[in-house]
Amino acid sequence: MDTSEKQIEMISKMINSTKENLQPLSVNFIFWGSLIVGMSLIHYIFPQFIQSTKYSSLLFWTVIPLIGMTITVFYNIKNRKNIGYETHLSRVIKIIWGVFNVSWFLLVIISLLKGVNNPVPDILFLLSTTLLITGLIIKFRPIQLGGFLLMLFTVYINFNPSINFLLVNMIGVTLGMLLPGITLYTSKLDE
Amino acid sequence: MNKSIDKLLFNPIRLKIVSTLITISECDFNHLRKVTESTQGNLSIQLKKLKENGYIHIEKSFKNNYPQTTCSITKKGKRKFEEFFETILTYKK
Repeated sequence: MDTSEKQIEMISKMINSTKENLQPLSVNFIFWGSLIVGMSLIHYIFPQFIQSTKYSSLLFWTVIPLIGMTITVFYNIKNRKNIGYETHLSRVIKIIWGVFNVSWFLLVIISLLKGVNNPVPDILFLLSTTLLITGLIIKFRPIQLGGFLLMLFTVYINFNPSINFLLVNMIGVTLGMLLPGITLYTSKLDE
Repeated sequence: MNKSIDKLLFNPIRLKIVSTLITISECDFNHLRKVTESTQGNLSIQLKKLKENGYIHIEKSFKNNYPQTTCSITKKGKRKFEEFFETILTYKK
């Protein structure tokens, strides 16, 4: 084997040594899916407790997700440190979900300032587009489908405002995040 | 006629570094040490040479009181790697 062949082989080996690991993304999906579904369930079962004061519901839906965000940020930093490198794909996904987090927070603040009671349809729509983009980028059909179903859901609830938003949240997030997250997690473990 | 080869990338350790960085956004020193199978001292020297020639960007920081070196490839580094790859392909022919 001559030098150029050895060099080509070496380059190929180096390129193949950096594999894409989507398991941390699936853990994020499962965590957020479970958290939102759990919170919706608690709110649905104990509305008198969650809506006891004017701002208690708002606090419930902002403080707990902010704690969740802190946990996931630390998890992702630790995970990145353990892997030792960041691929272009994981960087793109990190940016997309970072923008989602800021947008979600802004939607809550805007709805508070405008006195809008329920920012859920807007947040779910934002979530559906972010999921759809993520699914298309990583080429994973269950997440694409989940994002698309959630998008259809948000269109439906915009024309049917009387529907219980907590139930919508539970069904939408289960279909859009939790189930695709579990599918991604198990599919990666099978490899 | 064969093109002249980039002497900087002709070194196996430096070629391994650039080949790793070409596919990823950024990489830690420890990961580079693992994939290049080189010693800490040798890797530091090769990284310094690549940095001095503008092929890579090195960022030094502290995390939990430990120094951390993160490397990424520059536009010049990408261009030089592509040219190097084309050159070795012509040598192969």
